[in-house]
Amino acid sequence: MQLSDRISGLFLAGLGLAAAWGGSRLPAVPGQDVGPAAFPMLIGGGLIICGVMIAFGIGHSFEVPEEEGGERHSAVYGLRALVPPGLLLFYALAVDRLGFMLTAAVIVATAAFALGAKPKLAVPLAIGAPIFVHAVFAKLLRVPLADGILPAFW
Amino acid sequence: MHDMIEAVYLVAAWDVLIAIMASAVYGLVVGSLPGLSATMATALLVPVTFYLSPIAAIATIITASAMAIFSGDIPGCLLRIPGTPASAAYTDEAYAMTRKGQAELALGAGLWFSAIGGIVGTISLVVMAPMLAEMALSFSTYEYFWLAFLGLMCATLVARSSPIKAIASMLLGLLFACIGMENPAGTPRFVFGITDLLGGIEPIPALVGVFAVSEVMRAMVTPEPPKLPDRKFGSILKGQWGLTKKYQWPMWRGNIVGIIIGVLPGAGADMAAWVSYAMSKKWSKEPEKFGTGHVEGLVEAGASNNASLASGWVPALLFGIPGDTITAIAIGVLYMKGLNPGPTLFTERASSMYALYIIFVLANIIMIPLGILMIRMASKILRAPRSSVMPVIILLCAVGAFATGANLFSVLAVGFFGCVGYVMERNGYPVAALVLGIVMGSMVEQNFITSLIKSDGNPLPFVERPVSTVLASLTLGALLWPAGVWLFNRVQRGRAAA
Repeated sequence: MQLSDRISGLFLAGLGLAAAWGGSRLPAVPGQDVGPAAFPMLIGGGLIICGVMIAFGIGHSFEVPEEEGGERHSAVYGLRALVPPGLLLFYALAVDRLGFMLTAAVIVATAAFALGAKPKLAVPLAIGAPIFVHAVFAKLLRVPLADGILPAFW
Repeated sequence: MHDMIEAVYLVAAWDVLIAIMASAVYGLVVGSLPGLSATMATALLVPVTFYLSPIAAIATIITASAMAIFSGDIPGCLLRIPGTPASAAYTDEAYAMTRKGQAELALGAGLWFSAIGGIVGTISLVVMAPMLAEMALSFSTYEYFWLAFLGLMCATLVARSSPIKAIASMLLGLLFACIGMENPAGTPRFVFGITDLLGGIEPIPALVGVFAVSEVMRAMVTPEPPKLPDRKFGSILKGQWGLTKKYQWPMWRGNIVGIIIGVLPGAGADMAAWVSYAMSKKWSKEPEKFGTGHVEGLVEAGASNNASLASGWVPALLFGIPGDTITAIAIGVLYMKGLNPGPTLFTERASSMYALYIIFVLANIIMIPLGILMIRMASKILRAPRSSVMPVIILLCAVGAFATGANLFSVLAVGFFGCVGYVMERNGYPVAALVLGIVMGSMVEQNFITSLIKSDGNPLPFVERPVSTVLASLTLGALLWPAGVWLFNRVQRGRAAA
């Protein structure tokens, strides 16, 4: 997601403003001048200054020009980048109900297909990787992975 | 002496030896795969270290990172794609050597001088750390505040980006560190009614997200790197002793520059390699040969990036200030294992420190045979399609994040930080500065607020003690340096135009 410096700078300045305002509303510690508000307000102030400077292009001359990386793609193609965080969201929502094995298989298969794998690679990977990861984390390291509707066979 | 013997026993334990071997193989494989950095390899290991003994946990971090930094040279040399950012500085040079039919010499130089750099870096750690520890015992919160602030400023200074963007990234990291109740007043801040945020943002999910998930996201939108053709290699170490004698001075310069850059908070192996390669070219007797497949730059930069790895542990162990992103992860592991960084670590847990030194040396020695094996198997491993590696990594991110606290909120945090890291990198905001902000946030705030309370709001005591005066000057210098450079360039341009 390529943004112009103006947009990212203004976003940071807005975030800084929100942080400083949020910080200023924190309750003070009785009998002390310095409370929990000091640090967020300081950071907020810093972010406002930096955000405004970025929006005005100050410091841009220090940046290393980005290498032209091959072919250009459409914005829709760029949305593929959201697949990994989407899969993590799916894991958090589904693992308790479906169990680790099924959820992990769905994640591995989806990621593999999204990266252009053929079924002869994606399917064995979706079966093998969850078994391997379960063996390492649940069996060896005792991490409590959810059983769900398809418990591990050991 | 008693501590030393105890350290040998600690390292000789079977679980530690297995951890060293397993993490060595893991580091070599992950580092050699293009796009998977040494930091990412280390971040993915952290959930596993939860279940290991303290020494075995530290051993996995040290060994995996050292191996990954070396093996990043392999795809750089054979495919012109650096395996890790630390190899990027001399990838073109190494590839030019491969095209000249000198792949063995280039890979051998990478391996040999990495091992030497690692051992020299370890010696610097052994010598420097205890000396500085004695000095650090007299530090008060003022010195610690300036030291942490200087560390953050150094991270912004060395970023290959706009210093304003680097400072903004660092502030964003500090803002993330403000979330939760982990502040001197114990007041919940920015939790928005979410109970999972009360404990604050854990550095590990943030690191895994920023370094691993964002890499998988990038893989989704970039073309697959070319496949490595099958090839057989001749002797890997042939001619390395001759190179050591011929390029003795560049090698030592690389080691020393690597050590200095490693000690600087925030600057790591990639910065060390870039600086050393540039210095090698500048001071070489044959600068015209650079870029045509000349081994001198590889000698200096290869030694430098591994030397910086060990010296990066000096500020991490002494002050809890990470020397680079790998030690930022290591600090988390040290705390988790009860080896809280600080000068007293060297007096109260001396045997653990000696064990750490032994592991560093051991890792750099076994790097040579395992590295040769890895180079010989490279054509097989590098043929693994990205679509078979990345899905497993995303699964490991999910399970690893969950394992840090048996909490699904961490999995969501990993996804969130993956998006943050991806967007920041795409827009020229250095993520290393963000990570340092998150890791050091509570330390900076704790020392800042405690100092303010002690001084009754008076800023003068911040600069009254000699060490704090020096540190404050350095910090302000680091803050004003980019402005000075900008002003200088502007004046020069003005003169040229006139």
